[in-house]
Amino acid sequence: MKSFKILMPHFKRYKKDVILALVAIFVSAFSSLYQPKLLENIQKAIMADNRDSVIRDGIWLIVLGLIAIVAGIFNVYFAARVAQGVTSDLREETYAKIQSFSFGNIEEFSAGSLTTRLINDMNQIMNMIMQLFMQMLRMPILIVGSFIFCIIIIPRYWWATVLMVALIMGFGVFVLKRMNALFGKYQVKMDEISNHAQETLQGVRVVKSFNQGPQEVKKFNQTSDKLNDYNIVIGYWFSAVMPAFQLIAYLVITLVVFLIGKNIAAHPSDVTVVSPFVNYILTLLWTIMIAGMTMMQFSRANISLGRIKEVLDTKPAIKFNENASTEKLGGSVEFDDVTFTYPDGDAPTLKDISFKVNAGEMIGIVGATGSGKSTLAQLIARLYDPDKGEVKIGGHNLKNVNETALRKTVAFVLQKAILFSGTVASNLRQGNNRAKLHELQRAAGMAQASEFIERYNDSYDHEVEERSANFSGGQKQRLSIARGLVAKSPILILDDSTSALDAESEKKVQKALEHELPDTTTFIIAEKIVSVKNADKILVLDDGKLVAEGTHEELLKTSPIYQEIYNTQKPREVRGEN
Amino acid sequence: MTDTKKAIKYFAKYLKPYWKGITVVIVLSLISSGAAVIAPTFLGRSVTALTTYLGDLKKGSAHIDTFYSALGSMLAFYVLSMVAIFIAWMVMSKFNADSTNDMRENLFSKFQRMFVRYFDTHQDGKLLSLFTSDLDNIFNAMNNAIFEIISQGIRFIGTIIIMFMVNAQLALTTIATTPFILIVSIILMKKARIYLDKQQDEIGDLNGYITEQINGEKVIITNGLRQESVDGFKIYNNRVRSAMFKGQFYSGILFPLMNGLNLLNLAIVIAMGAWMIISGQVTTAIGLGLIVTFVEYSQTYFEPITQVTSIYSMIQLALTGARRLAEVEEQPDEKAVPNGEEISGLNKGVKLENVHFGYNKNKEILHGVSVAVDKGKSVAVVGPTGSGKTTIMNLINRFYDVDSGKITFDETDIRDIKLGSLRNNVGIVLQDSVLFSGTIADNIRYGKPDATMDEVISAAKQANIHDFIESLPEGYETQVSDSGSVFSTGQKQLISIARTILTNPPFLILDEATSNVDTVTEEKIQKAMDAVIAGRTSFVIAHRLKTILNSDKIVVLKDGNVIEEGNHHELLKQKGFYYKLYTDQTAFE
Repeated sequence: MKSFKILMPHFKRYKKDVILALVAIFVSAFSSLYQPKLLENIQKAIMADNRDSVIRDGIWLIVLGLIAIVAGIFNVYFAARVAQGVTSDLREETYAKIQSFSFGNIEEFSAGSLTTRLINDMNQIMNMIMQLFMQMLRMPILIVGSFIFCIIIIPRYWWATVLMVALIMGFGVFVLKRMNALFGKYQVKMDEISNHAQETLQGVRVVKSFNQGPQEVKKFNQTSDKLNDYNIVIGYWFSAVMPAFQLIAYLVITLVVFLIGKNIAAHPSDVTVVSPFVNYILTLLWTIMIAGMTMMQFSRANISLGRIKEVLDTKPAIKFNENASTEKLGGSVEFDDVTFTYPDGDAPTLKDISFKVNAGEMIGIVGATGSGKSTLAQLIARLYDPDKGEVKIGGHNLKNVNETALRKTVAFVLQKAILFSGTVASNLRQGNNRAKLHELQRAAGMAQASEFIERYNDSYDHEVEERSANFSGGQKQRLSIARGLVAKSPILILDDSTSALDAESEKKVQKALEHELPDTTTFIIAEKIVSVKNADKILVLDDGKLVAEGTHEELLKTSPIYQEIYNTQKPREVRGEN
Repeated sequence: MTDTKKAIKYFAKYLKPYWKGITVVIVLSLISSGAAVIAPTFLGRSVTALTTYLGDLKKGSAHIDTFYSALGSMLAFYVLSMVAIFIAWMVMSKFNADSTNDMRENLFSKFQRMFVRYFDTHQDGKLLSLFTSDLDNIFNAMNNAIFEIISQGIRFIGTIIIMFMVNAQLALTTIATTPFILIVSIILMKKARIYLDKQQDEIGDLNGYITEQINGEKVIITNGLRQESVDGFKIYNNRVRSAMFKGQFYSGILFPLMNGLNLLNLAIVIAMGAWMIISGQVTTAIGLGLIVTFVEYSQTYFEPITQVTSIYSMIQLALTGARRLAEVEEQPDEKAVPNGEEISGLNKGVKLENVHFGYNKNKEILHGVSVAVDKGKSVAVVGPTGSGKTTIMNLINRFYDVDSGKITFDETDIRDIKLGSLRNNVGIVLQDSVLFSGTIADNIRYGKPDATMDEVISAAKQANIHDFIESLPEGYETQVSDSGSVFSTGQKQLISIARTILTNPPFLILDEATSNVDTVTEEKIQKAMDAVIAGRTSFVIAHRLKTILNSDKIVVLKDGNVIEEGNHHELLKQKGFYYKLYTDQTAFE
């Protein structure tokens, strides 16, 4: 329950609601507890033929029912206020925390897991708080209360109540332990089922083309049958729990009533005690059972709380210097002996990389998949920090700069073109929220995006749907390039961002970059050598090491790796293989 | 309404085989409920007996035996009730589990028989939730709700009958408030439904926002938009908050309201009982007994009402789940052509004759395509994205059927060949390689589970992947993790090529990978493909031109029409569309 602490500051904000919810819960618990006692009074009054007191207690009973309803509704109202308030605040705190993470932090959690935490885990927590203020806090009052009443009503047989509680608890704990073990095994099988189903769904063409459907069904049924076995055993235990508990209670009731009858001559007033005693014993039984079930729910919520706490306790891996200047940093870039390993990687992705780039140069980066091209680019934008060595922009070590300054300096066009729901303009303005329409037009023109944007009736106000489903891959890439250009930053990075463009558009984009941005330092990461041929300098990466740098012509002469890449991209007949 | 009918029909279908068990459960529930209803009367009687005994004591002629026998009967009925319910639940948990298992296994095997179209048009996540969420909801409801309703129903009616038998006046008092309670709860449930739906919608929107933002986090960070992202989050979060508050409030008050009304009802019953005693309608002894009995009854009477309102949402979920499963079962199966021709090996060739096809009725993709692949030849299809290349593979393997025209295998229409036999003779290598969990060896022998290790190794060698596999610490026994992430895209493609080589199909369709494979790995894949094609009849769907220069024939597809045909040199000479594609892709000027 350590994780519970993260809720405390938020509860404090809703002190009034918490208190009112507690008052309401106390009142409603008391009213349901007091009712059998009142019943006893009425019976006594009837025996004594005391008309006034029968009427008085009868009215009390009605008042009690009304109080229970009003208190119940108030209780739900305030409990819902607390639950919604606390979870919303916690969710906001968590999201703000996530936005302070470095990209590496986010990757470690994975986007999917963070979303699950913010939605599903928060729902669990919300339900728990609701339960806490509607049920859980009522339980101790009811359990203790009905236990005490059971004993007060007929103190001579106190041991019977204790006996019942002990038997129920003992049996309950025994069953719970069994069930937990079974649930663990069940979950493992359930995961197998869902994995198997998922694989065959994704590979449906493979399964069908190899005629393996019947084989897959056989495999699936084996797992499913095992799951079923667990399900049945769990079901058997469940079947036993409730009847066993009730049987225990009824045995105790019979025993007590029997003893009352046996000794009635000595204690004639006991005859009015039977009904309330039965009532309290049954209340006690139900409360213990419900408490048990709520506890099971709580253990789930506790796991969720733990998962949120994990996010809140994570320290952002990257911290910027808030005191540094927010002015742009300049256009030169320098890597000084940089080594970098991904948080979950075991070998470095970049090894001892050093190079220097002057402002306004166009730099190409080539190398095989996994050679570290994108990683290198991401270090320039400080999405990660190097393990060793320094990355400098405009002579400033990135570890000492202000985040605003860095973001103004570097524009990054990602390998995967991502658009956000909104409009074309709202997406382009992510690069610079104060950009004027003519600036958007200029950027879109260079990125070869104007031709399709201007074909829309609402041109730049055209809607971008969720998952940008209304744009093709090529269009998305062009918009994503345009967004990078809107920023007008001194440094522009294009990470393999023209791969979905046809050859002609790609050429046009490159020409525009060369001629219209002479002062911008441009990094072009590419699979195809043709995309970087005209660069002022090409960096060749191989397995995380910078193995060569120079112009296209120089590298063709000096770098065997560059030659190999170049050769595999030549048509066969040029290679003389045909 | 028809949806609910569909769901109920589905349940009926899967519960039918267990009718014996169901009968046992119903009989036992009747016994148990009956006993549970009768038992409190004996508690009342024992109180009456005790009161009478006390009165008689004063007269000196008292017998306590009536008390003992009443008490004994009470215990006997409770024990009977509990034992009956225990057995009923045992039987029930068995057939509930079994019938859910039937549903699960039938669902999976249905999936294996359905058209690929269904999987292409439905998200995997949604189909998976049939296994994880919908079946779970159904199982929960069957265990907790459906038979609960039956047994509560029996109890409800039984209680009313017995109450009237014991004392009509008190019975009427007990049920007098029911219509009012029902109206209140129906209004509340409707209201709760509206707000709960709204709550789900708002959560869905928030979920969408978070997913979009976090998946686009690199854009957010590099453009310095993190504070804006938090501000946007607050708007969605606040909407969730207010919608959830209403949803939780309206669905939450039902329970305390029922509890309170129960208390109120109790007060009315007691008041009536007390009045009957005081006004002299019954003796004190009988009156007290009646009050005790009716206090019990009014609680057993109320329980079903409270229970049903609290399992209402569970039932809703189960009905939705059953409807979804029923809709899957309604889907047509692939036509297996059981009486079709059995083929083994290719003698003449495969032909597409004037094939028209569209994934949607109103959007045709292929407009009369004819391609012939002669035995032993390799034919390549090229063309821009969206021209319909991959569609041809879908048609030859009968993942989809042509709208008009035909495809022939040795001059037999493939629709007249046994589906299994056709697919045994056509091997495919897909654009996106899929590996299954299990070892690498398992994956390579996927199409021929009884293949020897030698066959596996030889296939891997031909696919150019043997050396890589051997370099792994566990070699061929290396486990492929769930997502297959330990292997690069290129390596996965090589393993899937080996998988196809092992089955040695007479006709082969290769769909080249389009994903980002670097040019060195691409070269390896190329060599593996060349090895596979050698000596086989093959059909290559090419996305990069340089991989198909050696083909016997190249077919150029554009916008669903064949516009050029010939070998590489012939096509270059034509200086047409192929020439333009080729010079664009390999431009080094």
